[in-house]
Amino acid sequence: MFYSKHLNRAVDNLKSNPQTSLVSVSTFAAAFCILGLFMVLYVNLDSLLATWSRQVQIIVYLNDDLKKPQLKKLEALFAGNSEVSSVEYVSRQAAWEKFKNTFSAETEFLETLAFNPLPASYNLRFKPGPRRVENIRRFAEELRERPEVESLEYGEKWISRFEKFMVFLKVFLLAIGGLLGLGLIFIISNTIRLSALSRKNEIELMLMIGATHRYIKTPFLLEGVLQGAAGAVLALLAAKGVHAYMSFQFSDSIAKIARDADFLFIGPSGILILFGSSVAVGWLGSYISISKVLNMVNES
Amino acid sequence: MIQLYNVFKTYNGNTPALVDISLLIKERSFVFITGASGAGKSTLLKLLFGWERFDSGQILVKGMNVGKIKKEKLYLLRRHIGVVFQDYKLLPNKTVFENVAFALEVTGASARSIRYKTSDALKSVGLFKKRDSHPMQLSGGEQQRVGIARALVHNPAILLADEPTGNLDPDISLEILKLFEMANQQGMTVVFATHNHELVRRANYPFIILDKGNVVRP
Repeated sequence: MFYSKHLNRAVDNLKSNPQTSLVSVSTFAAAFCILGLFMVLYVNLDSLLATWSRQVQIIVYLNDDLKKPQLKKLEALFAGNSEVSSVEYVSRQAAWEKFKNTFSAETEFLETLAFNPLPASYNLRFKPGPRRVENIRRFAEELRERPEVESLEYGEKWISRFEKFMVFLKVFLLAIGGLLGLGLIFIISNTIRLSALSRKNEIELMLMIGATHRYIKTPFLLEGVLQGAAGAVLALLAAKGVHAYMSFQFSDSIAKIARDADFLFIGPSGILILFGSSVAVGWLGSYISISKVLNMVNES
Repeated sequence: MIQLYNVFKTYNGNTPALVDISLLIKERSFVFITGASGAGKSTLLKLLFGWERFDSGQILVKGMNVGKIKKEKLYLLRRHIGVVFQDYKLLPNKTVFENVAFALEVTGASARSIRYKTSDALKSVGLFKKRDSHPMQLSGGEQQRVGIARALVHNPAILLADEPTGNLDPDISLEILKLFEMANQQGMTVVFATHNHELVRRANYPFIILDKGNVVRP
């Protein structure tokens, strides 16, 4: 009852200042659409990282002339790791054949080689899981110390580089979100301030006849919340529109880059965060301005 | 009901508005506060309902120490007081009924009680038939009656009137005065600020004269 009455007053306030309200809602929509598109970018890069991480395997290159018991020892070590899902042995000969097949165009060069320069290797694949990359990294370091191992590869450098990029992107998103939030708080507080000042006489009268501060503030706070909510809905619709357009227009390129991973939109929790932030910014902007106006009226 | 002890009030730190005011207004009494423009009548009334702060002294209204009430809690004091203003302070976009009902709405009264009490208040000032009019459609006297109905609607213990007849001609002023007398007869304490000596003389109630912020006749 209390809130429905105030909600009606908030809607009346919005209707009585349509231009100001429209500017404010549009600003919200533009700012949160930008933020939403950054979130779409983040979600997709994160999904790409996850896809790539799933494809990570360790290739263990062996020293030449290892004896069977040494190989058995290594295989026992692989079997002892519960995260390893498959082990494939590639002999020196098999590696050489594969190499020759791959580079068949260079037959002249290959025929000049009098010996097989490639080492034997094991290809280890790992089970999926949340700490998969971390487990691979730890096991790789353990294997590197083994005397049977000449060297190993698991794409460590580019994974950690990509992970660092994702951390940077997260910080960038937070910074952009913070800056947009501050700008919006400033804009919404000015919009609500104008709305409150146009009702200065009414606010003054309300105080004189015994209204509580809460009673006076509530419709203005709801006004900010409504503007934030409307802006967020428009922003999400616009971001979804851009996402749909890109999915349609650049589907081939995206499929190539993302290795057939889907081009995702923000998930439900992201939508909630975006919507909640917009509403919170609307509320905060209104709270700051109506508190200032109330103090001004009280002290005039 | 209303007690002031050595109250001082200055504006901007150096312009004295009220100087060492001490007075007592008993419950259910009718008191005029009179004096020339700038004597401090309005300031005194504003102090009584906590609209302005005073520099020193003490003010007790209905047992509440006005100087000690926090800004956010002043509504507790104001709900015991009805205030009538010289410029009526009606909201132009609301009807007569809505203007009067507004004083109950802000206190969170139920819709039913608002309907009943507002109609009653409008009948008591003779404006029930004009309940759907807007303030701009009314004469000055009628607008002031709406202001009085709004002040009376929540049945306050104290009625403060700041030059309520200042913009009205003498005959209308007497009619307005009668409404305050009626409220007083119903048990309200009335403090009526006016510079209209004729009105004070004809009504024959106790009066306090202010001059440059000083009480010259209690």
